[in-house]
Amino acid sequence: MCLSELQENQKGLIQKINGDSRFVSRVVSMGLPPSSPFLVLQNDGRSPVLLYSHDTMIAINRKECMQIDVEMA
Amino acid sequence: MRTIALLGQPNSGKSTLFNALTGSHQHVGNWPGKTVERAEGYFTFDEEVYRVVDLPGSYGLTANSAEEAVTRNFVEQGNADIVCIIVDASQLERSLYMLADFAGIERPVMLVLNMMDVAEQKGKKIDVQKIQSLLNIPVLGFTASDLEGYSKFFDTLKRAVEKPAKISSTKIREIALANVSDGRESSPILKLEKLLDYLDFGNREKFWIVSKLLENDSLVRSEVETAVTPEHWKQIKEILDAEGAEGGLLTGEAKYRFISETLREVALAGEKTVKLSRFDKMATHRIWGKFVAFFILVLTLAVSMMIAVPIIASCFGLQGVVGPFVNQACESLGLWPAVASFVNSVIVGGLAVTVAMMGFVFAILVTFGLMEDTGYLARSSYVFDSWLSRLGLHGKAFMPLVSGLACTGGAVCGTRVLDTRGQRLFAMVLLWSIPCGSKVAVVLFLASVFFGSAAPLFGVIYVALIFASFWISSKLFGNKLMPVNERVGMIMELPPYHKPHWKILLKTVCRNVWEVFKKAIVVIWSISLVFWLLSYSKDGLVAHSLLYHIGNFIEPFTQIFGMRWQLFISYLGGVFSKEASLGVMSVVFSSSTDAFSLIARNEAGANLGEMMRAAVSLPEALAFIFASMFNVPCVLTMGTTYRETHSLKWTAAIAGYYFAISLGLAFIVYHIALWVL
Repeated sequence: MCLSELQENQKGLIQKINGDSRFVSRVVSMGLPPSSPFLVLQNDGRSPVLLYSHDTMIAINRKECMQIDVEMA
Repeated sequence: MRTIALLGQPNSGKSTLFNALTGSHQHVGNWPGKTVERAEGYFTFDEEVYRVVDLPGSYGLTANSAEEAVTRNFVEQGNADIVCIIVDASQLERSLYMLADFAGIERPVMLVLNMMDVAEQKGKKIDVQKIQSLLNIPVLGFTASDLEGYSKFFDTLKRAVEKPAKISSTKIREIALANVSDGRESSPILKLEKLLDYLDFGNREKFWIVSKLLENDSLVRSEVETAVTPEHWKQIKEILDAEGAEGGLLTGEAKYRFISETLREVALAGEKTVKLSRFDKMATHRIWGKFVAFFILVLTLAVSMMIAVPIIASCFGLQGVVGPFVNQACESLGLWPAVASFVNSVIVGGLAVTVAMMGFVFAILVTFGLMEDTGYLARSSYVFDSWLSRLGLHGKAFMPLVSGLACTGGAVCGTRVLDTRGQRLFAMVLLWSIPCGSKVAVVLFLASVFFGSAAPLFGVIYVALIFASFWISSKLFGNKLMPVNERVGMIMELPPYHKPHWKILLKTVCRNVWEVFKKAIVVIWSISLVFWLLSYSKDGLVAHSLLYHIGNFIEPFTQIFGMRWQLFISYLGGVFSKEASLGVMSVVFSSSTDAFSLIARNEAGANLGEMMRAAVSLPEALAFIFASMFNVPCVLTMGTTYRETHSLKWTAAIAGYYFAISLGLAFIVYHIALWVL
């Protein structure tokens, strides 16, 4: 499933990042490489998803969330 | 002289360190041939001068944008004697990615774990000594905002100078190789290394090159392509194409594993349950968050204006006090009356206007500094990103754009919060069309003089036109300044809240205001001088001034835009400041008194309305009102734009663009009005 399918307060693990190298490099350098654990802090269905990973709060646009495969942890 | 390059991710406190180290010994310009800002400064330690280069912040060393390319080239080419990597100790694991990405560049390096105080508050225990022995490079744990603690920084620097240490990528390579499911031998890393076997990459280890190849880094790709035989390049390309974006994941994951393995023994995280604070819930709410942003912006601006208003007020009073004194002095010295007029209008007047405007710049810079320092700015960007991304801008542009309503020139300085130069320039282009309070007042005043109760309608049309101009600007400049293929939808860090560092903040703001002042005063004095020369006449009659003759001469041309010479000169006066256009009008239409004194004092003659109604037809009035809407905002805006872009070319280009828009609009409106009315 993709990142935006997780609900608030659910934990997950990044599985795969789909997209071109530029996108992958951006996500990885922001601290979300595959197998990173994270917690969804806010997902209201419309705004960008807020998650917490590696001690950092990160906001990701919903469109970009679709390109990130995750599994529930 | 030794050169230290500061390398760190955004929000790592890099600028704080830079400012604290160099103080007022700074120089900000552009990288040669690049449209990226270059900040460098100097300090002396142990009787040696150090040059500090503040590299543009980036999350890693892959060159995806102009800023990242500059950063990357600088460290890679070995331009620095010491690379000082700054990381946020409170987010150590993520922040250390920069170090892992750097590993393999064989340059002396030191690591600064900044914000140790925040890390401690979060319950993290970091064993700095242990990190140092594991990485085998000088490591310092400190807090850049604590100005007392810099002796520790210099001690570490000394160690880095005396015993240069490098960081190798060997461990990362091992991790990446162990991570291949069908055995090491099938790893693209080994295959690529074999193909590059006979090459020497100078400063960089082979694995670093291989990993950048796998990450599809354009600079390394073209470097390798020119270095290898066409046959080998074909093979390399086959491997890279087969890997696709996977290659970047392979190396990225290895780098993070390297970090977590290093940290496993040295940093104990105080695992706490993480929740969005109540304030953050509001601040990031889709609807409430926008109100919160407006409220905070207006409130902080208002408070900082309270500090600035006395300065502004006293400046406008200055001329009244100094004027008679100058007149008297000139008279008693037996000087030409023109000298007194020159000193009063150009020197004193220009100074008063500039200092007064610095009040606005100060207020806006304090406001933005606070928002950035506390971490709130990122929240406002989060709630407004969806609006601004339509124009290609980052959500961060919201704050500067809205402060444009208070003062365009000040807001231009506020665009500094944006990360790339393209974004900054584009925000400036948009800002020029956002009217400040006095521009709105002038437009509505003119509208009410000629159209009475229909004036509010002009307000509505004005707003619509501003949005239309945004659209036009984004079509014209958007792709050039922010290439579509470089845009990535928002993936943004929301930094934890910090207490503002008042001392550093105010110091930085004051230094910036001083820098802006120096540029602005030159621009304002030069333009004042031109206006003064043009409008001067011995007897004070406009008909005897140069302005009158030039005006008459160019009238056939300006009439295309519906402006007779009086109106056109007033329009040009509007370039000085919006109120000045009214001042000029009262002069040219009353054809008496010293024109310049009215420009400088921003006065509209008392019966200006009546005079204008008698002298100006409705189509002409319409043309002038619409031209005023998109006229160049004011000299301060030109001055600050020049100061922020470091480019006369861009300042002139933006000014030319707005002359074209405003005159074009006047042309259209005038000819439609002639036809309809």
